[in-house]
Amino acid sequence: MENDAKVIPIQAAPYNLSRQAGEAENMLDHIVDDFPDNPQSMAYFYDLFRRVYCHGDEVKHEGMLVGTTCIQAPEELIYAFGATPMRLCNGSYHYDQKGADFMPAKSCSLVKATLGMLNSETVIPKIGKPDLIVNPTTCDQKKKASVMIEGMGHSVYELEFPNVKESEASRVYWQRSVRQFAARLRELTGKKLTRKNLQAAMAKTSRAQAAFRKLHNFRRKSPSLILGKDAFLVTNAYFFDDIERWTDAVEKLNAELELRDEAGFKAVQSKAPRVLFTGSPPIFPNLKLPLLIEEAGGVVVTDETCSANRMLYDMTAVDEWLVNDMVDSLADKYLKPCTCPIFTRNDDRRRRLLDLVRDFNADGVVYQAFAGCQVYEMEYRSVADEFNKAGIPMLYIETDYSTDDKGQLSTRIEAFLESLKNRKKHRA
Amino acid sequence: MKYFAGIDVGSTAIKVAVVDEEGKLAGVHVAPSGSLFHKNSLEALNNLLGKLSLQREDVRYLIATGYGRKLFKEADDSISEITANAIGAFEAGKAHGGVRTIINIGGQDSKAIQIDNNGHVVNFAMNDKCAAGTGRFLDVAARNLDLDLEDLGDCHFQGSGAPLTINSTCTVFAESEIIGLLAKGHGKAEIIAGIHYSIASRTVRLAKRVGIEDRVYFDGGPALNKGLVAALQDELGRELVVPEHPQTTTAFGAAMLARSEFMDEQSLEKV
Repeated sequence: MENDAKVIPIQAAPYNLSRQAGEAENMLDHIVDDFPDNPQSMAYFYDLFRRVYCHGDEVKHEGMLVGTTCIQAPEELIYAFGATPMRLCNGSYHYDQKGADFMPAKSCSLVKATLGMLNSETVIPKIGKPDLIVNPTTCDQKKKASVMIEGMGHSVYELEFPNVKESEASRVYWQRSVRQFAARLRELTGKKLTRKNLQAAMAKTSRAQAAFRKLHNFRRKSPSLILGKDAFLVTNAYFFDDIERWTDAVEKLNAELELRDEAGFKAVQSKAPRVLFTGSPPIFPNLKLPLLIEEAGGVVVTDETCSANRMLYDMTAVDEWLVNDMVDSLADKYLKPCTCPIFTRNDDRRRRLLDLVRDFNADGVVYQAFAGCQVYEMEYRSVADEFNKAGIPMLYIETDYSTDDKGQLSTRIEAFLESLKNRKKHRA
Repeated sequence: MKYFAGIDVGSTAIKVAVVDEEGKLAGVHVAPSGSLFHKNSLEALNNLLGKLSLQREDVRYLIATGYGRKLFKEADDSISEITANAIGAFEAGKAHGGVRTIINIGGQDSKAIQIDNNGHVVNFAMNDKCAAGTGRFLDVAARNLDLDLEDLGDCHFQGSGAPLTINSTCTVFAESEIIGLLAKGHGKAEIIAGIHYSIASRTVRLAKRVGIEDRVYFDGGPALNKGLVAALQDELGRELVVPEHPQTTTAFGAAMLARSEFMDEQSLEKV
């Protein structure tokens, strides 16, 4: 008997059948369907994620495509050279598993997922091959990723980033590093950096930042006008969406929130505990923790993470007579206000957290550390001490992109929210 | 007389407690969870009501807690087991001069809770997603040693040598370590004492994360194990308050909460 077994070539699953798409779809359904009263203008973002993550629609860009692996890569420079920046940091558990081959078992889900995505046959978001990937030398895991990304056939630029923030030597070093990056971009695009181009690029990002800041300020309202899960989705869209279209959509959302505010609308119960979210960044589809908080009756009112607040809060508004001086000032803007835990000291981060608790009237803090993200894990103690001194309760959660700890986590989060409610009750 | 009930639907056992209007414990009941969570929960509740000669209507408010709390729709409300445990230990601890730290070891998790003078949760810690140092670990160890779970406590004290060191904190790896020790000819009692110390030191590390203050209350099924209690006291360097019914503290807390929720609603209606 002749066996007619054939070698079946391994083919990438079509986008809408891939596990990545299934994961994204589940999360999106959850975000959209399980909460009443979603703002109508969120439809733009729901639809965007559905098209890009579930259906695999192509993400278009103008000029050259420059992938970034961190918010420390100055996007104004990329825009000024007529290229489009695209943040590659990925939140998919499917890609996390695929990327596990590249890293030790206990390493950051975010870095593994980004590697997994870049090495995948079906890259989602479908952005096409970046002309350059800029990888700032921040945490160790990202530093080590450069060589691996290069091994996948990408062209990688290592943007040298200092790990001390306060010293003048670091400042000068970083300014030179950003100038070199500008030179690399000139080489890539064949264009020249001018004061006018840079000003136009800054106007673009400033408009986006102004829209973000308005949204951010709406979240001070108590009871809340919008849930944190939607706010995270909005800032996540900034990773890959066209910046002008994104800004228009956020402005529409802001207009709706203004109406909600005038009408005295409540997105949550008036007693809902208000939570500040900090630590490792939630990136779609890994919005596990913010969703668990809001399902349990809490509300995330603000955050200190690099997928949202830290990415968009500090406005760019520099003007100098010479373009080189503008680049230096731009570099300062990226270094000085940064609260990334890769620095030796974290005085600024602690101060920022206390400010946020006060300004947003937060009842407590949830601190997420991805297992293997050493810098966040190590900063936990000093942040906990700071909050302890200030009498602000904090829940520390070590987790990753998998969903198998959801049961345990929901118990812990519910208990934490119950204790926040109790505190409020007995203080009143 | 009005009654109030708490039902703690855990991973291993279902615990029910009923209290009366004065907050006095009327009775408790423990049944295995089995695979039919919901059916077994209802049966456990009805069993206890039968024992106490009560009708379902006599229970004016019922609060569910534990892993299955959301699945038990017959309850009026649900609460996380951490809050319920804190209330139960606070109330039960009054007779012992008040407690501030609670150590709970359950079937698949272990917790440390710090409470203030009013019984409110200040801080808590819970083991991450593995069964190391939980009741399940004892279960597996007893099976390896051909013993009943209930006998582990007495065996702890029967050894002639020092407790052996069990290095693995993983339930699965510890299993092979135990088999290895048996193969080398070590006595069961020393192995058991070693297991108890391994759980105890792990638990103390967890408790230190929340801060340990006197008195320390120890509950959950494994608190029935006298050997484990002794090892934990030794590792902590403090005495433990172990209640009469360690398994049902959380259910008792839920019942006490049911009582106060009912009273609150009543007083609101009067206004």
